[in-house]
Amino acid sequence: MTTREETDRIALLQGTLDLLILRTLLLGRQHGQGIARAIQQQSDDVLLIDHGSLYPALQRLEARGWIKAAWGTSENNRKARFYALTKAGRKQLHREASQWRRLAAAIGRVLGPHGAEG
Amino acid sequence: MFWHKRRQTDFDEEIASHLSLEADRLRDRGVSQAEAETAARRQFGNVATAQERFYEAGHRLWWEQLKRDVIYAGRILSHNPGFTLVAVLSLALGIGANSLVFSVVNALVLRPLPVEHAEQLVSLETNVGGPGLSFPDYRELRDRNQSFTGLVGLRVAPMELDTSRGADHIWGYLATGNYFDVLGLQPVVGRFFHAQDDLRPGASPYAVLSYASWQQRFGGDGNIVGKTIRINRQPFTVLGVAGKGFHGTEIFYWPEVWVPMMMEPQIEVGNPWLEHRGTRNTWVLGRLKPGIPAAQAEANLNAIAAELAREQPDYDEGLKLKVARPGLIGDAIGAPARAFASGVMVLAALVLLAACTNLASLLTARTADRQREIAIRLSLGASRWRVTRQMLTETLVLSLAGGAAGYALAVFLARALSNWRAPLEFPVQFDVNPDWRVFAFTSAVSFCAGIVFGLAPAGHASRMNPNAVLKGEASAWRSRRLALRDVLVVVQVSLCFVLVSGCMLALRGLQKALVMQLGFQPQEVSVVSFDLGMAGYSEEQGRGFQQRALQAIQQLPGVSSAAYSRSVPLSIDQSQTSSFSEDLAHPRPSDSVSAVHYEVSPNYFHTLGIDLIAGRDFTWHDDAKSPLVAVVNRTFGKQVLHTDYPLGKRFRFGMVGNLIQVVGLVEDGKYVTLTEAPQPAVFQPMLQSYNTTTTLIVKSFSPETQMVQQIRQAVTQLDPDLPLYGTGSLREMLGLAFFPTRAAAIALSAFGLLAVMLAATGIHGLVSYAVARRVHEIGIRMAVGARPAQVVRLVLGKTVVLVATGAAIGAGLAMAAGQILASVVYDASPRDPQVFAAVLGTMALLGLASCWAPVRRALRVDPMIALRHE
Repeated sequence: MTTREETDRIALLQGTLDLLILRTLLLGRQHGQGIARAIQQQSDDVLLIDHGSLYPALQRLEARGWIKAAWGTSENNRKARFYALTKAGRKQLHREASQWRRLAAAIGRVLGPHGAEG
Repeated sequence: MFWHKRRQTDFDEEIASHLSLEADRLRDRGVSQAEAETAARRQFGNVATAQERFYEAGHRLWWEQLKRDVIYAGRILSHNPGFTLVAVLSLALGIGANSLVFSVVNALVLRPLPVEHAEQLVSLETNVGGPGLSFPDYRELRDRNQSFTGLVGLRVAPMELDTSRGADHIWGYLATGNYFDVLGLQPVVGRFFHAQDDLRPGASPYAVLSYASWQQRFGGDGNIVGKTIRINRQPFTVLGVAGKGFHGTEIFYWPEVWVPMMMEPQIEVGNPWLEHRGTRNTWVLGRLKPGIPAAQAEANLNAIAAELAREQPDYDEGLKLKVARPGLIGDAIGAPARAFASGVMVLAALVLLAACTNLASLLTARTADRQREIAIRLSLGASRWRVTRQMLTETLVLSLAGGAAGYALAVFLARALSNWRAPLEFPVQFDVNPDWRVFAFTSAVSFCAGIVFGLAPAGHASRMNPNAVLKGEASAWRSRRLALRDVLVVVQVSLCFVLVSGCMLALRGLQKALVMQLGFQPQEVSVVSFDLGMAGYSEEQGRGFQQRALQAIQQLPGVSSAAYSRSVPLSIDQSQTSSFSEDLAHPRPSDSVSAVHYEVSPNYFHTLGIDLIAGRDFTWHDDAKSPLVAVVNRTFGKQVLHTDYPLGKRFRFGMVGNLIQVVGLVEDGKYVTLTEAPQPAVFQPMLQSYNTTTTLIVKSFSPETQMVQQIRQAVTQLDPDLPLYGTGSLREMLGLAFFPTRAAAIALSAFGLLAVMLAATGIHGLVSYAVARRVHEIGIRMAVGARPAQVVRLVLGKTVVLVATGAAIGAGLAMAAGQILASVVYDASPRDPQVFAAVLGTMALLGLASCWAPVRRALRVDPMIALRHE
């Protein structure tokens, strides 16, 4: 299913979803749908989140002890599972974020200024 | 790696919640309810896939890693086939030995008797030795106690069963009527006998067959119930057949038939004892009432015993009762058998420990060689736990492979042992086939072994500093003064020393036992037994037959001497009688001395080569009409008559028996076991004490096998229907007496050999490793002129110290272990200089052999090549 709307968006690189989830949770506890929405909004709708793959990622992060989860109630009174960062998760976010920044900067340097690739 | 498992429903709920939240959001933007739901679903993608991934994530991580580790371990191990083979083989032997011994312990100790609530069953034992009570006492205990749901009385009894080929000598039980009901058993065919079938003597000619007997003798005849069989030439009606797994209540005695106790006079012809208060022939088993502890039952029984002692002091004064585990004639055989099995179990565990230490040291050496590989993995980002886990997986793969091979070995050997029939007329069957307990034990042992010998090298690996190793710093490997490896070698050498000296002791004991003074000469003697009572002979007819048979035998060519006895020494059939000296003014039951008792014919001592020290042999005139006489051995003289020269002294059997005069004195011998202390023995002339059980003892010049044939023919000519049993050479019969020593020698030799192999590989590994690590250094030393002796000292210096330490510790342990062994093996003394020399020799040889190859390698180091190496 390819729509025009989606061709403008960028599919996430492998492994970056974890980083984005952790970053989102830094702002406070949130449920899965909220996390997906937040990532999409904060990236000005550029990043495409496949909601279906969000949950295995949450599962993985929970298993590593980086986030923890508990059932709660959303603003509009729906039952939802809320995720929050753990101490280890905070550290991991710090590590991954700085790695990512270095990588992005390095790739940026290699690619050179806008338009250099012709 | 582990987390609290989240349930699938919880996850499904979360997805549902996501979908409704998303739909809510869209609806807030003005989309219709139906469209909002569809859009939320579309946005989410495939719900089923998400669920599947959730499910797999929970299971896969572990499996994937394990699978990868196992495959990797397999690859590593197959690259070192020599090491793998040695490891698996030594583990297989070590674990196999443990599983086999455990099978025996399982059969002896752990496996319950195949009856309902077997834990409630106990066997009674008395303070006069053995489990026997008189039948009247059994009746009183049964009726007066408050602790048992039932007490059964039983008696192992040989019988003669008529078959189409003539009579067969078979073994069965006389059992009280409540036997099957108290045990809680059901027949496969027909019915069992009950208490009401066993009320009056001789009135219940019933028989219950064992399953095996039904199958083998009667072809599993479906109409067997109600048929008549003839036992001791009298008709018995078959009531039913016992279940397939039930072989009576003794672990190794598998009877063919059960007959009600009241038939005792018909089964033991000529020896009715049911009403004799002084004949303690009844074994008693009881089922405790639920909730009654054994100690309480014992107190209850002893209270009754005290009443009995008051009521009939002549018989029961001082009677004490004890409850024991059933299955091995109470504690009489049970205690030593269990002690022996436990001892062997400890040995087996030591062997396995040696195998494990060996592997641990081999593996530690290998980890050292693999340090580059591990360093690379660590620096590529493997966590230390992953590396440790990888190493542990390797050792577990090894130990489980070894365990599987060992289990197969144990099953094979246990099956052979179970199928082995002891050289006895007695139906002894060692069913030690492994069951689920043995399997569980083997699995647990293999697993623990893998963890135990894997931990050291794995720990080593996880502590390493990858940076230093990759830079090639030799010191990266922290070399402690006392490495674990060295401790392991010391442990191993001392274990090896213990096992080798145990093995040598046992072999020496066997060698001594083979030439020991038995007190009689078994060479060239053949024996044949028959029972005239069961064959329907009266006493008068029986005596006539005995005379005719002896005359016939004496005329056979090659016979130098022939005689009768009720049984021969060291056979399984020994009888004890309590004796009282005439000198006792007021004899009490506690004054009795128990002596081995034989009824023999004239010429017995000559035929068996027993030394007559003083006095005379019996003659055919020592009969019922002449005064009662006896021949006694030295110990009987000392313990009963308190003199070294008992000729002319008088004593009696029991407190009220007739006085018997000693007319001859013979040398002491061995009567029941080879390891027994000298014990009193008394011989009575058979014409003064008739016994229907008769063993014909023949000394001849011709070979025993041939002689046995001739004797059989001669006796069969006199009575073709008389069943003969226990036929063969006396030396064959003695196989039973030698069995414990032989078993110990075989077990210890196997373990000793195993230990030697293990220690050899252990020392070999240590020295090889020392050489391999120092090739460079040796090269330099040789280049600057080191002499071979100096190189050898360099390589072996530490090893010699370690081996010597191990040997010293081992020698101390061996001394302690030797004391224990002395109870099983004839005359085993750890201070025997020959044994000590043999052990030291073996150990020295072992040390030399295991160092030989690596030392040669060290001496052949070419300085040029060694120095170019790095």
